[in-house]
Amino acid sequence: MEQIGYTNTQSDLDAIFAALADPTRREILSRLVDGQASVKEIAAPFEMSQPAVSRHLKVLERAGLIERDVDEQRRPARLKAQKMTAAVDWLTQFKAFWDTSFNQLDDVLNQMKQNDE
Amino acid sequence: MSELPEYILDRVFDAPREMVWRAWTDPDLLSRWYGPGVETIIHKFILKPGGSWLNEMKWGDKSDRSKMVFQEIVRPEKLVWHHSSTDANWNTITNPMMADWPRVLLTTVNFEDVGEKTNVRLSQVPIDATDAEIACFAATMAGMDKGWGGGYKVMDELFAELQANAA
Repeated sequence: MEQIGYTNTQSDLDAIFAALADPTRREILSRLVDGQASVKEIAAPFEMSQPAVSRHLKVLERAGLIERDVDEQRRPARLKAQKMTAAVDWLTQFKAFWDTSFNQLDDVLNQMKQNDE
Repeated sequence: MSELPEYILDRVFDAPREMVWRAWTDPDLLSRWYGPGVETIIHKFILKPGGSWLNEMKWGDKSDRSKMVFQEIVRPEKLVWHHSSTDANWNTITNPMMADWPRVLLTTVNFEDVGEKTNVRLSQVPIDATDAEIACFAATMAGMDKGWGGGYKVMDELFAELQANAA
C-alpha cells in the first residue's frame, strides 16, 4: 500500500506503518539488520534500479527507521530500531487489549456459573 | 479507498448466551473484565440507543478515559456503539498514543449460540474518518492479521540485533 501524499506532519507511528506496509521496504530492513549498506549493495538482490531503491530508502528515512551518512559519497544506510519498537508496542497494546480482556471475561463467567449453582 | 478496514475478533466463551450478555451489559460485571490488567471504573452506563458508557481505566498513576455511545441494542444478540478516547470531561480527543488513530470506531458485538457455548464476534470499523485515520487503522490491522506479511520476522531479527548490541 503506497501512502501517496504522506507528509511529515503525520504522526511518527503512522509514517512507520505506511513504510512497513511495503514488502520491498521490509526486505530492505531485513538486509540492514546484517549491517549498514550502500544503495548499490541494497539494490543488488532486487530486480530494481538504484533510483527505485533510493525512493524506498527515503520513505524509510522519513519514518525514522533508518539513518544515512550525509558526508560520505556512498551514503550507507543503517537501521534505527527505536521507532520500530514504538510501532510494535502500539500493535501489541491494541491486540492485547481485547485478548487480555476476553481472558478476564472467561474468569468472570466462571465465577458467575459457580454463583448460579 | 473503497472498502473500510475492519478489526474482527471471534471468541467462543464456555457459557450460555444469556450469561455472556449479562457480563457485557451489567456495569458491575463489565468493570471486572473490561480493560487488560487495570482498574476499570464505569462512571455512567445507560443501556439504550443514545445512552453512554463512560469508562475510566487506571493503572499506577495513569488514567485512560473513553466514551461509548450506544447505537443499537438487540438483547441478547447484538450491541453497537461509537467508541472514542476522551479527556477528563468526556470530550472526544485524538488518541494520546497515536495521533492518526480514528477518533470514532463503530464497534459491533454479536452474540451467537454455539451449542451450550456462545460465540462473541467483536468488530471495529472507523466512522466519519479522515483518509489519514483510515490509513492508520488499515496499517495497524495489516500488522495484526498478517504480521505485516512477514514483517514480524524483521522485528524478531531487529530485537535479536538490539539485544546483541546491548549485551
